[in-house]
Amino acid sequence: MSGAAELAALLARAADGDELAFRDFYDRTAGKLFGVIVRILPERGEAEDVLQDVYVTIWRKAAEFDPSRASAVTWTATIARNRAIDRLRAKGSRPTSPLEDAGMVADTAPLADTLIDSARGAASVQAALAMLDPRQAAAIRSCYFEGLTYEELAVREGVPVGTLKSWVRRGIIKMRDAMHASAVQ
Amino acid sequence: MSGEPDMTPDETLAMDMALGALPRTERKAAEVRMRSDAGFRAQVEHWQALLSPLAEEIEAVPPPAGVWQAVAAEISPRQGGGAVAPEKRGLWNSLPLWRGLGLGGPALAALALVALNPSVPPPISVAVAEAPPALLSASLAGADGKPLLAATWDPLRGTVVLTPATIRDDAGKDAELWVIEGDKPPRSLGVIAIQAPNAHAISSQAISGLQPGAVLAISIEPIGGSPTGLPTGPVIATGKLSTV
Repeated sequence: MSGAAELAALLARAADGDELAFRDFYDRTAGKLFGVIVRILPERGEAEDVLQDVYVTIWRKAAEFDPSRASAVTWTATIARNRAIDRLRAKGSRPTSPLEDAGMVADTAPLADTLIDSARGAASVQAALAMLDPRQAAAIRSCYFEGLTYEELAVREGVPVGTLKSWVRRGIIKMRDAMHASAVQ
Repeated sequence: MSGEPDMTPDETLAMDMALGALPRTERKAAEVRMRSDAGFRAQVEHWQALLSPLAEEIEAVPPPAGVWQAVAAEISPRQGGGAVAPEKRGLWNSLPLWRGLGLGGPALAALALVALNPSVPPPISVAVAEAPPALLSASLAGADGKPLLAATWDPLRGTVVLTPATIRDDAGKDAELWVIEGDKPPRSLGVIAIQAPNAHAISSQAISGLQPGAVLAISIEPIGGSPTGLPTGPVIATGKLSTV
């Protein structure tokens, strides 16, 4: 059984109230979700609060998980990202850091294979990002990974916000088109 | 917000929402809309799905052990109070108790129709479905009888006009509006703003057939609204709908 299928099975058991299965699910996924949250909320205590909240939410909503629509990692990472961004927005703006740091992509070395459940999707997104202007790709990553608003990123990049918006949005459209094209082939 | 050529404003908004680039107010508005507009929600989910493989790039960071203990204490009755069960098991069985909070007590006596503030901004939504002619209104009060908010449903516009009577500060939380009809479980009418007068658009489907006597309630929920589809936080006010 693949990692993705195992995770989906654990979530299904959690939906039936199986706490041991949920503990197992936590052990396999918490590092990933904490990584997602910490990028957005670098203050550890805050990130831990959000992580706790995210897993309580996953437990409550486990029955809603539909493996035909998203992998367990994608589904839970989306919850984690949304909660972290909600928290970030609730407390107002954050200090900005240089794009060179922010755009730095974590090395992809040894992620547990259970977590790489959509390697093809990831490869396809990265191929699509690689086609873009490097600064455009870095801007998309900054918004996605750090939860920055267009305004915050425009300030950091020293470009007008309208320019930055077009830059990012057109980049995402290009990514989509490239990914569709590669899916058709 | 400027649009993009070849994209509708909604597509642009959905993409910005999925990317997470919206500032607080716009993000909240988009969240509220996702709850009442399935088409818009589907657009956001489309972009989320497209972008989600990016998360694969993020390096795992091991969380401290205390986080699991805190999660376990919240979900397991054996490991501390206040356990929450997965919604499938229908934990929400304390409805009578919850309703008793405001409905049996003096709060009902405080029920009053409140004149609408003429400065309320015009409602946004104009969705109409088999609109009954009457306006329905409720004054929502806390268990102490103190009025919190007046809610008036305008069926012609498909909106609930909300007029706060008291300002509350629930930092880091959202207020969620519920309707309870008879013995049915509460239904969410979405996350609402209770800081200033506003018109809250509600899909006609969610509210069709609403009759005088149905109860509106407001609970305090995590940002984005109840994660379970049923109230999870404290109920701060309830009130019965009557014909204006």
